[in-house]
Amino acid sequence: MEFEVLAKCHTTRARVSRMKLAHGVTMLPTFMPVATQAAIKGLTPEQVESLGVSLILNNTYHLNLRPGLKVLQEAGGAHKFQGWDGNLLTDSGGFQMVSLNKFMTMTEEGALFESPFTGEPTMLTPEESISIQHIIGADIIMQLDDVVSSLTVGPRVEEAMERSVRWLDRCIAQHENSGKKRTQNLFAIVQGGLDPELRDRCLDEMVKRKDGVSGFAIGGLSGGEEKDIFWRIIKQCAEKLPEDRPRYSMGIGFAEDLLVCVALGVDMADCVFPTRTARFGVALTHQGPLNLRLSKHAKDFNPIDEACPCPTCESGTSRAMLHHIVTHETAAAHALTLHNVTFQAQVMGRARTAIMEGTFPDYLHSFFANYFGDVGYPEWCVNALRSVGVDLLEGKDINVVPGQGAKWEYAKS
Amino acid sequence: MSNTVNVAGLSFTLANPTTTRKFGPRIGSAVFRRPNGAELTIETPGMLASSSRGVIPHLSRDHHNLTKAIRWVHIPFETFLEHSPPVPTLQAGKNPLHTFLGFLPSQHILSMSIRDPHDGKGMPSNGNAHVCASSLRGVRKISPSTWRSHVGACQPDIAIALSDTPFTDPPYSQKRLTKSIERSVQWLADILQPVEEPALRPNIFVHMSGATSIPARRAFSESLTEILHGREADSVKPFRCLDEGVSGYTFNLVPLRLSLDASIRPVPEDQHDIPPTIDSRDPLPTRNTRHADQIIPLLQASLISLPTSKTRLINSARSPHEILLFIQNIGVDLFDAHWAQRAADIGIALDFRFPVTEHARGKASTKLGKEIPTNGKRNIGHNLYHNDYTLDFTSLGGDSFVGSYDDRANMATQDICLCAACSPAIPRTRIAHGNDPNEASSIIPEEAPPRYRPPYTRAYVHHLLHTHEMTAHSLLVMHNISVLDAFFAGVRRVVAEKGEQEFIEEVKVFESTYDGNLAVFDEARVMWRNVEMARGKGRLAREKAKQEESTLGTAVEL
Ligand SMILES: [Zn+2]
Ligand SMILES: [Zn+2]
Repeated sequence: MEFEVLAKCHTTRARVSRMKLAHGVTMLPTFMPVATQAAIKGLTPEQVESLGVSLILNNTYHLNLRPGLKVLQEAGGAHKFQGWDGNLLTDSGGFQMVSLNKFMTMTEEGALFESPFTGEPTMLTPEESISIQHIIGADIIMQLDDVVSSLTVGPRVEEAMERSVRWLDRCIAQHENSGKKRTQNLFAIVQGGLDPELRDRCLDEMVKRKDGVSGFAIGGLSGGEEKDIFWRIIKQCAEKLPEDRPRYSMGIGFAEDLLVCVALGVDMADCVFPTRTARFGVALTHQGPLNLRLSKHAKDFNPIDEACPCPTCESGTSRAMLHHIVTHETAAAHALTLHNVTFQAQVMGRARTAIMEGTFPDYLHSFFANYFGDVGYPEWCVNALRSVGVDLLEGKDINVVPGQGAKWEYAKS
Repeated sequence: MSNTVNVAGLSFTLANPTTTRKFGPRIGSAVFRRPNGAELTIETPGMLASSSRGVIPHLSRDHHNLTKAIRWVHIPFETFLEHSPPVPTLQAGKNPLHTFLGFLPSQHILSMSIRDPHDGKGMPSNGNAHVCASSLRGVRKISPSTWRSHVGACQPDIAIALSDTPFTDPPYSQKRLTKSIERSVQWLADILQPVEEPALRPNIFVHMSGATSIPARRAFSESLTEILHGREADSVKPFRCLDEGVSGYTFNLVPLRLSLDASIRPVPEDQHDIPPTIDSRDPLPTRNTRHADQIIPLLQASLISLPTSKTRLINSARSPHEILLFIQNIGVDLFDAHWAQRAADIGIALDFRFPVTEHARGKASTKLGKEIPTNGKRNIGHNLYHNDYTLDFTSLGGDSFVGSYDDRANMATQDICLCAACSPAIPRTRIAHGNDPNEASSIIPEEAPPRYRPPYTRAYVHHLLHTHEMTAHSLLVMHNISVLDAFFAGVRRVVAEKGEQEFIEEVKVFESTYDGNLAVFDEARVMWRNVEMARGKGRLAREKAKQEESTLGTAVEL
């Protein structure tokens, strides 16, 4: 991997960098759409590429079950199998194993779970996770970590953090010996739950191992924790992680979360949210999400967003037409997925431009004014951005909304 | 003439117009001229794509534009009756229907009928002055004048006149048939009535009434060519008879099949009120080929008294075998692609050619049809649900076509499948988002030839089907429509270059090479159902309606 920081925001900790991987260059900060089972919902790789997306995510846990490693191996890796010529990231499989398996226990050796095929007890070790990811062949691979829910408290959090550090060593060793280092890049995952002291210890240990990894992810968040705690952990981690490595915040997808994370120094994020919400009829816009199932759109001949360059808006698809097909036709999901993936890329692309031009704080002001101006700003965003020198409320008389603060156009017709 | 009128004028030419024969294979071209001079040509025999709620199922707009085999799309209008007035009638600007649905006037012909020609579900009786149409909000009654006004507002290129096709329980009495014919004639006259701006009126196609009664079908056709007098003549000026205002004849096979089934299967008295079951209105091919033999004389009865110079269109043919029979025995010009699109719903990748290639001749499929015998014949497609495809890295139609990427050996154009699954092209442009990598600007200039990637494989689509990824169906629809388009191109080539006798010989070879029972469809349907049912928990009740077999685009839960 070639990684170069091109510009830094003069006020916040946001930065623009250039990350060159085996399948091309991806500019950071970026949002990665999720192709869990080797397809972005309903789209072809050519469509995804045409949207200006250069880095997507596959889930190791799913690909390992289907199509399975034999198929991927014979296909010549996941890139060839799914016809994706851009950059690819795989997770370690650990997170899905925890969230999708009832009977799973973590041991020092690895994660012990019931095989979904045979029901036999099966072990996923850190070494195996890396080997599987080597066969999949993604440009960025993740260490296996000991995952606990972000709502877990007590000694289990500390145990998981410490074990994740030990597993990182095993993953590094496996990766070093693989001969895959030239084309594949290993990322570490910082754990430690919501406890700043544990996070600090984890950061210290993992940063020590910097030479063995190409980047760092911040794990164990976005599991329903308080947003005011969430941003503090992100900030703490981003501050302590080395300048010369990309920082990846896992499972982040709401536009406001993305921009706060970028302001705190995060470079990459992924989430199923924009593609999932598309299937339920929600279009993301710079004025907030739009629920096209609502009957108020039935006779609205405007596109989702006049200025949006996505194929859906660009071809003039009206809200009325989308309302007619949404939840009935897969084509409606495709139309909205094309739009939402483009929207996420625009939010991040505009951030890159603003950082390069030294106007990132202005971008934050205008984004929040457009997106939340009508309902009020989430308090946690105001707090988070204040901590890096941007006061969203400056010169404004605007409502501040406590709590989780996500904006939704609810489905009451 | 007004500039706002963009309905394309249709002229249909047969390659051999001097032929005096009513029936037999024929080739021609339907040329649509738009007032701005743009010309769209549909070579016949050819095809039109079916739509559901105004979209080609599983295709986004970029995909339907990319699929060059899609040149004519048929739009059943009834789903828009959920709102009053129907929303497309409120669309401003030129080509309102094209604009609302995202089809390109420069690339797509749009035809419009009130009802979905594939829907055979039981409906209340039509009245003397209304047709019953089906919408999600229940049955809607629509009068001839309302239909005329919707057509005028939407400006499709072709409108199908209302017709009184009974969807109550067949068989029908002679009295019912007589009434049906009278109404259909009356409603055709209504849409042909003089308009201030004749160019505003689209080309009118008429559905050939008369159900399974040969005398009734003849009577209907004869009433079309009857010279009108007095008030009747005034009401359709300047046409001397109704047929003069008609550009094409359509035949909907679904109601015909329902009637044919009813006539051989005596309905027990106590079941008269039960609407047809899902199975009986399933437009998918079944292993029952007797219908085509019974349908041919019915269609001939309709056409015998009519001029040969107008296009003949069939909805809901079930297989390429059936299509060949209708081309050979009648001289049908246009067929919808419904069965091929539906095949994509259930995981079938079509893989056949006409004329049969040397390579395919006499060979049975090595895979598939294992569960169900195919009499030693090849399948016309692959059931990609089948585990035999887990490690099959050939292209979807790899037995019959190559992709553009593989086109190293200067293959003839008919050997290449240009669909986005077999010939994925590197996008010419990528959306710029701000501070993009320099490398991203290395897009392909417009004048440069397209650059292709290797085809998507059967193994990949097999994987997508089993993981419920919607992309599987997008790829399959584009491919299947393209294979069907290539099939028609092959038919035209044989008829044009080799003549009728050779064509009939090639049809025989086709029939002896490819399994006409479509056993592979039965197999795929069972697997499709099992995979979908394993997952179908928690589906919204509304989406369940879409799961009915007769509805296109139903394979995938959103
Ligand atoms: Zn858009
Ligand atoms: Zn193809």
